[in-house]
Amino acid sequence: MIDFTQLFPGIGTFLTQDPATVLARIGLIVLGFILAYLGFKGTLEPLIMVPMGIGMMAVNAGMLFLTDGSTGTMFLDALVSDTNGLMNILQIDFLQPIYTFTFSNGLIACLVFMGIGARSEISFMLARPWQSIIIAIFAELGTFVTLILGFKFFGLDAGAAAAIATIGGADGPMVLFTSLHLAPHLFVPISIIAYLYLSLTYGGYPYLIRLFVPHKYRGIDMYIEEPEVPARTKFIFIIVVCTLLCLLLPVASPLFLSFFIGMAVKEANIGHYVKILEETISYISTFFLGLLLGCLCDANTLLNPVVFKILVLGITALAFSAIGGLIGGWVMYHVTKKRFNPVVGIAGVSCVPTTAKLAQHAASEEDPFSMVLGAAMGANISGVITSAICAGIFVATVSLVH
Amino acid sequence: MNIFTYAAFAYALMAVISLAVVGVIVLLNHVLNKQGKEADEND
Repeated sequence: MIDFTQLFPGIGTFLTQDPATVLARIGLIVLGFILAYLGFKGTLEPLIMVPMGIGMMAVNAGMLFLTDGSTGTMFLDALVSDTNGLMNILQIDFLQPIYTFTFSNGLIACLVFMGIGARSEISFMLARPWQSIIIAIFAELGTFVTLILGFKFFGLDAGAAAAIATIGGADGPMVLFTSLHLAPHLFVPISIIAYLYLSLTYGGYPYLIRLFVPHKYRGIDMYIEEPEVPARTKFIFIIVVCTLLCLLLPVASPLFLSFFIGMAVKEANIGHYVKILEETISYISTFFLGLLLGCLCDANTLLNPVVFKILVLGITALAFSAIGGLIGGWVMYHVTKKRFNPVVGIAGVSCVPTTAKLAQHAASEEDPFSMVLGAAMGANISGVITSAICAGIFVATVSLVH
Repeated sequence: MNIFTYAAFAYALMAVISLAVVGVIVLLNHVLNKQGKEADEND
């Protein structure tokens, strides 16, 4: 007599697991479908959401009985810690090598960051460096508000609160890097929720712009031509700033190096490297980032009570960062005697280049000839730098909190 | 350190480092522009 549960273990495990886990598995299969479909439709970021959604569905459907009688998958085991066990798993689970050698040491975050660096243009920041950085400093408001809320009112430890707070910086690789260092037990839900929310900024931020900037101010034109900064000058800026930041915050130096080396090869006009970083490395790492985050999202992730706290704190961080950026926009509006468009403030939230595009879109809606994209890109790049500095400060000093 | 003091300290530190980075950028810009002009004049 054939045992049905052994013949179809994916279904059989549903019959043997406890009801809460079964419901969580079904919920995650449905959630994975929704995420993948919304990615397909373009509502959410398809580069992340399509592989993440499909991975989430596959890992929760493809569960089987292991030799010791417990349930598991053939994808990866994030909890394996002893060397012998790891060597065995590396030969069985097909995604284990990528997880072990690129996730747990933060390499994947650095690879994504290299791609971002290779696509970033520093000229706009150099055109108005003080304005750009002041906006970016204001746009970190959500990070620090969330840190306090998470620790004081949500009962999280300082490391977890800081890792969740970095969602306010709106930089996926930064969130991944910080959570791997400060809250490795929570990096899966933190990263998934961060990427989910970052995909949603396109939908939510325009409402915040309308709420905080009356329409008559949104059309202020602040056209700046891309300044003609010689490549030599830009290259020297990049390597000096990289070295300076590594000197000040060594714990975040992998991130700084990754970001600035992407920029440096672009300015050095090493075409082959730029192509590799911009296309191959950037897309391969983003693809595996999405796929592995999806495959790490098993039922236990959803059943973790901290997930609800991360959901609330994540949206709080992004909302307060946007509000902080817009306040910065208003400050610059008054400082420059009404020549600064306050909507540029939203671009201080460093979701490159989404928030810069949102600022331009808000300005164009009011006045089709209004051009703020240059200033917004400057704030965007500054936002990446302030977010990386925040990550470095948190990793280095959060242990001071008692 | 309590959380409020730490948050204020970390925010201030982030702002100071960011401004210092921009200070270096502006200073470098000034020096490199000056060198460029001198090179142009010599040519």
